[in-house]
Amino acid sequence: MSDWIIRPATEADLAAIMAIEHECFPEDAWSQDNMHFELLAHHTEYFVAVRGELVVGYAGLSKVPASDQGDVQTIAVLPTARGLGLGRALMDALLTAAKRLHAREIFLEVRADNPVAQSLYFALGFEHIDTRKNYYQPAGVDAWIMRLTPPQRSIGREPVVLGIESTCDETGVGIVRGTTLLANIISSSMDEHARFGGVVPEIAARAHLEALKPTLDKALAEANLSLNEIDAIAVANGPGLGGAVMVGVAAAKALSIATGKPIYAVNHLVGHVGVDILERGQVETPTVALLVSGGHTSLLLVRDLLDDVELLGETIDDAAGEAFDKVARVLGLKYPGGPEIDRAAAGGNPNAIRFPRGLTQAKDMEKHRYDFSFSGLKTAVARWVEVAEAKADSGEGDALNIADVAASFREAVADVLVSKAVKACLDHNVPRLLLGGGVVANARLRELAAERCAAAGIELRIPALSLCTDNGAMIAALGAQLVMAGRQPSSLSFGADSTLPVTTVQTL
Amino acid sequence: MGHVLAIDTSAGTSVAVLKNGEALAEVEIADTRSHTESIGNAIQDALSAAGVKPSQIKAVAVGRGPAPFTGLRVGIAAAIMFAEGSGAELFGVISLDAIAKQEFAAQGLANDTAAEQPLLVTSDARRSEHYWALYSGLDRHGVPICIEGPSVNRPADIEAGLTERGIIAERTSLVVSARAIGELFEAQAAAGSLSHDITALYLRNPDAVEPKNLRDFGKKVSG
Repeated sequence: MSDWIIRPATEADLAAIMAIEHECFPEDAWSQDNMHFELLAHHTEYFVAVRGELVVGYAGLSKVPASDQGDVQTIAVLPTARGLGLGRALMDALLTAAKRLHAREIFLEVRADNPVAQSLYFALGFEHIDTRKNYYQPAGVDAWIMRLTPPQRSIGREPVVLGIESTCDETGVGIVRGTTLLANIISSSMDEHARFGGVVPEIAARAHLEALKPTLDKALAEANLSLNEIDAIAVANGPGLGGAVMVGVAAAKALSIATGKPIYAVNHLVGHVGVDILERGQVETPTVALLVSGGHTSLLLVRDLLDDVELLGETIDDAAGEAFDKVARVLGLKYPGGPEIDRAAAGGNPNAIRFPRGLTQAKDMEKHRYDFSFSGLKTAVARWVEVAEAKADSGEGDALNIADVAASFREAVADVLVSKAVKACLDHNVPRLLLGGGVVANARLRELAAERCAAAGIELRIPALSLCTDNGAMIAALGAQLVMAGRQPSSLSFGADSTLPVTTVQTL
Repeated sequence: MGHVLAIDTSAGTSVAVLKNGEALAEVEIADTRSHTESIGNAIQDALSAAGVKPSQIKAVAVGRGPAPFTGLRVGIAAAIMFAEGSGAELFGVISLDAIAKQEFAAQGLANDTAAEQPLLVTSDARRSEHYWALYSGLDRHGVPICIEGPSVNRPADIEAGLTERGIIAERTSLVVSARAIGELFEAQAAAGSLSHDITALYLRNPDAVEPKNLRDFGKKVSG
């Protein structure tokens, strides 16, 4: 495993970058002000290569939104860190950024007397298109102008895909055109579950059946499309509540037959990862994804959205969202517990009570490095409340401080989620983390993830909340990727698979 | 009336294509645990066997049960979306009514006639219970006249209820088929008694106990 990572540069890297700039370009280094401006500008993307704790290289791309050209602004690697593939990795980061920003051509200049760099650029597909005489001063060295024209997708237009989601208590219908979101309508049966303190599968399934048609009609109206303008139908066939998934699958199959459009059965959890496409044009890989909801707590390593998704770990008992719901009940709060506990925790001391962090002790980390457990935590909170109340009743202690309990519990959940996710990134040399699932609505989880990722040099992606909770748009987005990749549609024989593994992105 | 697509998943998976009350094609999958896997191919195969394109289907008739929950929804969800996608009109019929019509036809009962004895139609509701309804005969369009039900009870309780009131009922062992759903639909069309109601007849509440005290959970925790 390599001992370095590439990550987006921040203002804090300026001093380190300038030191490299002066070492690599002693004659014509940029000024610190110039570099500072470049790092902060909206039209640039800068990355640094970090080895150990040291920044040993950097590179930058400029891409003005109005233009379809990208320019490699600069690239440098300290002489002591050359020969490790850092230059190539930095260029890969720039080209990935250029692709995401829809650059159709990428230009760069390279010294005519630098054959090492030239051969790297040739290897990446650049061609030498022009030479500028005496470009580099004061030495008077010529510059080669090189250009890369990435192959464009060959299909004439982007496919319009309708996605159906029904794996838990949300009936979702989304419509995308390629990587563009056209509609995302969600009908939730959450209120019907409130008096039971958790999702009741049969109630959820009944609600799906009733919500299907109105949700589809609303999505079509929002996208201003009719069904015959849809190119393909995608449906989540698991993992999730079996009876709930069945409703969506049966609906999607009949819609496919009636309209003559191909059907794609896609993985709900991978949909949570794929949704990033709708905000950034693609899912940058490799990425670790932490998916947290009332039904799932999963840590995924995604090297390729369609072909290489690995489950690193998951909860061995309750999902994180379930823990919030149950602890909310213990504290006499309403369902769903997440927002209630967030509210109750405001003003509470997160360090007041040290609740257990499941599966984080050394012996557990051997076997369950990326797995989660919230059952013990929930029990610990219940016990603590019981004891505190008994003491208060007998006059031995103060009244129960709900704010402290809520804040401490929330801290324990966020801590263990984020620690394990960051560990997964560092262990696998993956410089980015994507969050998904309804529990992302939790303010403390987002805050702690932002803090720890920044400290570890990991880029954090949190899609808009409407795309984090279960929705049809993510299913449509993943379906559109399959269509654009030329994958064959699913047959009509697939079933609902409540335990569908994440390695099965599409069920054929 | 043009072609009719009839769907029933209250027992197995059953799909038929009819025209003028005649079945052009039928697909029956008896397995009661593979509705989701079967429904797509069943519809596709019935259409192909009948030589009918989805756009030629003018009406979709779906069995509303009563039936155990999970499978029943598969047929109704498929019917809703087939109608949505093809532009066909969507109608619901009660699956037990379709069985009654089939049984009366088998007995040779003429339209607009009361049966000598009422007909008790039952189907398996699982958990040692039966769905049931009682029919007195056929109206003049051949639509069975339901005099009691549909309801869900233990078989012994259904029998006791009939005995108590001195009702001696005929029985049938028929199982619902999409063809019977389609035939009932045609009779209802003639009678002008078609219904757009496609809500599932579960006849039982979801298995979920509302906690008396939402904090019960906390008190039960014992490690």
